[in-house]
Amino acid sequence: MSRTRTQTASEARFERAVRPEKPFNWFRLIVTVAVVGGFLGAAVSVDARWDRLPDAPGELWNIARLMFTDLDLADLPQALESMWESVAIAWLGTMIAAVLSFPLAFLAAQNISGRGSVVVTRQLLNIPRAIPEIIFAVALIPIFGLGPLAGTIAIGLSSTGTIGKLSAEIIEGCDRGPVEAADAAGGSKAQRVRWAVIPQVMPEIIAFWLYRFEINIRASAVLGVVGAGGIGTMLQQNIEFRNWGTAGMALIVVVLVTILIDTISGAVRRRIIRGPKSGHDKIILDPEKVILARPSR
Amino acid sequence: MSQTDPHPTGGTASSTTAPVERPKKPRPSLFMAGGFVVLVALTIATGADWRYGVGFSITDIWDGLTRPNAPMRGLGEIDFAALTGARARDGFLETLLMALVSTISGALVALPLALFNSKLGAPNRVAYAAIKLFNNIIRSIPDLLWALLFVAAVGIGALPGMLALFFFSIGVVTKLTSDTIDGINHGPVEAARASGASHVQMLRTAVLPQVLPAYTSFSMYCFELNLRASAVLGFVGAGGIGSVIDFYRSHGQWDRVWGVVVGFLIVVIVVERISMALRRRLL
Repeated sequence: MSRTRTQTASEARFERAVRPEKPFNWFRLIVTVAVVGGFLGAAVSVDARWDRLPDAPGELWNIARLMFTDLDLADLPQALESMWESVAIAWLGTMIAAVLSFPLAFLAAQNISGRGSVVVTRQLLNIPRAIPEIIFAVALIPIFGLGPLAGTIAIGLSSTGTIGKLSAEIIEGCDRGPVEAADAAGGSKAQRVRWAVIPQVMPEIIAFWLYRFEINIRASAVLGVVGAGGIGTMLQQNIEFRNWGTAGMALIVVVLVTILIDTISGAVRRRIIRGPKSGHDKIILDPEKVILARPSR
Repeated sequence: MSQTDPHPTGGTASSTTAPVERPKKPRPSLFMAGGFVVLVALTIATGADWRYGVGFSITDIWDGLTRPNAPMRGLGEIDFAALTGARARDGFLETLLMALVSTISGALVALPLALFNSKLGAPNRVAYAAIKLFNNIIRSIPDLLWALLFVAAVGIGALPGMLALFFFSIGVVTKLTSDTIDGINHGPVEAARASGASHVQMLRTAVLPQVLPAYTSFSMYCFELNLRASAVLGFVGAGGIGSVIDFYRSHGQWDRVWGVVVGFLIVVIVVERISMALRRRLL
């Protein structure tokens, strides 16, 4: 029987076959040792009460149970009103950042501005990017008093860095063609920017403003912890005084409103970048991914 | 100017350009017009000084800034000596260690979650939907709120801070990595399935090698985020450099607050530079 003969032959070949040896990867070994060592070293040397760790899941479960079994619909209007204040802070802060960052982005773009302006503006944009909103907020509260105004300005200032940097990168990535056409038609520098650059980059920049608005909602939801307005105050006080029912209602409102606004804003961003046709083409819509995909400077 | 143009160029410019009509500007689309109306309405509603607005006014801002105030005065006389003190040194070290522990542990948990959070990697639709919902909820809770919850659960200190950053990292890394999985090359996946690999074997040999560089890059990016976030955890009692800033602030020592903030700024920017250089090599 030829069939069994080929079968046994192939089996014999299979028996003889040796798996190619895996090349030894020094790099992988070093990285693994560094990560594991770093983790263990840091975990041991950090001054934390690790003995409380086993309690954490139980305690968290306990809190979750207390929060969601003790819900009172009477808390809903207050939660919604505070959340609206958070959304207002995020929206207005994003608008402030958009207005401030728009001219800065052109000053920081290499294909528009000179070297000196690019270096100085980029450094200027780096500072608010590295400082969290809450730190801006605590510094602004003694100036503007407790309340949403301090939070709004904190969000506005700290978003200016990110929006400015990303807008500058979008401007740098624009198509040269229209700029050359405007140049050939005798357009001045300002006219070139107005008619050849801005129409190209505007959809992407506006989409990023919206994306930043989504991030800012998360930030403004906790600004109230230091007294800068929004639902954070309600959350902080009710968690601190163990009013779990009210805190749970506030938490539910934060999560649902955040997801709802993410969904709406994501759809609007998709429409801005893709245009009116609803195609199935897959494009990257997460600007964070774009930054990560092409890390620069 | 066309070549058949009988009129001489220059001179009576208005008469030569008259027959050339500018094309009509297209009307703005319904989407643009509607979007603009919503934008203006939202800005006015949120900015106005009424029950549901923030009460934004340029004069208030100007008055606030021109009035003498402690933070601005402190900005003029930044005290860098605060950085060399034991309090600040311990704070920085704690922040760094907290970010390290929580990023590594969070990223480790995020990898299987990311696999299950994509249509390709999830074993079935139910698991996919459940993981997606779980991840959406985790991501919509801000880092400081996690810290509030964990301070209530296990008391103040570095532990609740690390637990907060742990959950925050899970959200970030899972989201970014699972988006990458959606975009990978399906060739190796088909090859693995054709050679009879089980679901887990397929993930291990066809999906994981493709997303590992991006995953590592996202984990490093998450470390930067955690470092930045750990500066504020101290405001709710969850340890790190934030507690030092909060301490100086509550004592009104703004010169020292700014000194620590400048030091923090330098740490963040240096870490970001290093991480960016590494990430550029990965991608």
